[in-house]
Amino acid sequence: MKKLLVVSLIVFLSGCSSVTGPKMSMTWPDTPPDLKTACPDLGQVDTNTTKLSDALNVITANYSQYYLCKDKVDNWLDWYNAQQKIFNSVK
Amino acid sequence: MFNWLIEQALGHLPVWLWPAVAGAGTAVYFLAHLLSNFPNVKPYAIFIKPAAFLTIILGVFMYGGAGVTEILQAQIKEQEAKIAVAQQASSDANTNIQTKIVTKTKVIHDTQVVYQEKIKEVEKKIDADCKIDPEAISILNGAAKNPLGATK
Repeated sequence: MKKLLVVSLIVFLSGCSSVTGPKMSMTWPDTPPDLKTACPDLGQVDTNTTKLSDALNVITANYSQYYLCKDKVDNWLDWYNAQQKIFNSVK
Repeated sequence: MFNWLIEQALGHLPVWLWPAVAGAGTAVYFLAHLLSNFPNVKPYAIFIKPAAFLTIILGVFMYGGAGVTEILQAQIKEQEAKIAVAQQASSDANTNIQTKIVTKTKVIHDTQVVYQEKIKEVEKKIDADCKIDPEAISILNGAAKNPLGATK
């Protein structure tokens, strides 16, 4: 009788250990499309011009370009940190 | 494929079935033990006993597995719920960032337009007062060039 109980216990435990759960994980989200484009190069002033207004136009456009690019990097960081926090909360 | 079929078949059986099988096996085993005292049925009892023993083993083994499966199923459901919440939060975060990008880009573009208008207003005056030496433009363009090469 004792042997039967011992064998039953062993069989029961081996039945327990034979089952393994599936591994589940969250997929990393896709990046917003606006963050996927590279920053363009800065504009160049026409070398044939002597007008200050032409140069100023290119310079102000370049300033805007810089801020657009800076915003893109800042948004990348915000996006990554937000998604990382959400991703880690599921683990 | 075979494993999958087995899993599907076993996964739909109720958990209580396995202790019932083990219990039935035990009952048959003891019954066979009692019957072995009767000479007429003794030869059958010799075959029934091992079969009953195997039935007990099968029932107990499957009960052990089914118990764990039930626990794992509960954990899977919990994890699925967590993932669904996280995916919604992730999607919301993406939408928020996308909205922020659109708003900020508009502000930067609008500011650029304002300054271009200001340049237009004083264009004639500044162009008349100042002529840029081509050397200065060359320096400015050189400084604006990416020292690492063109953007890909």
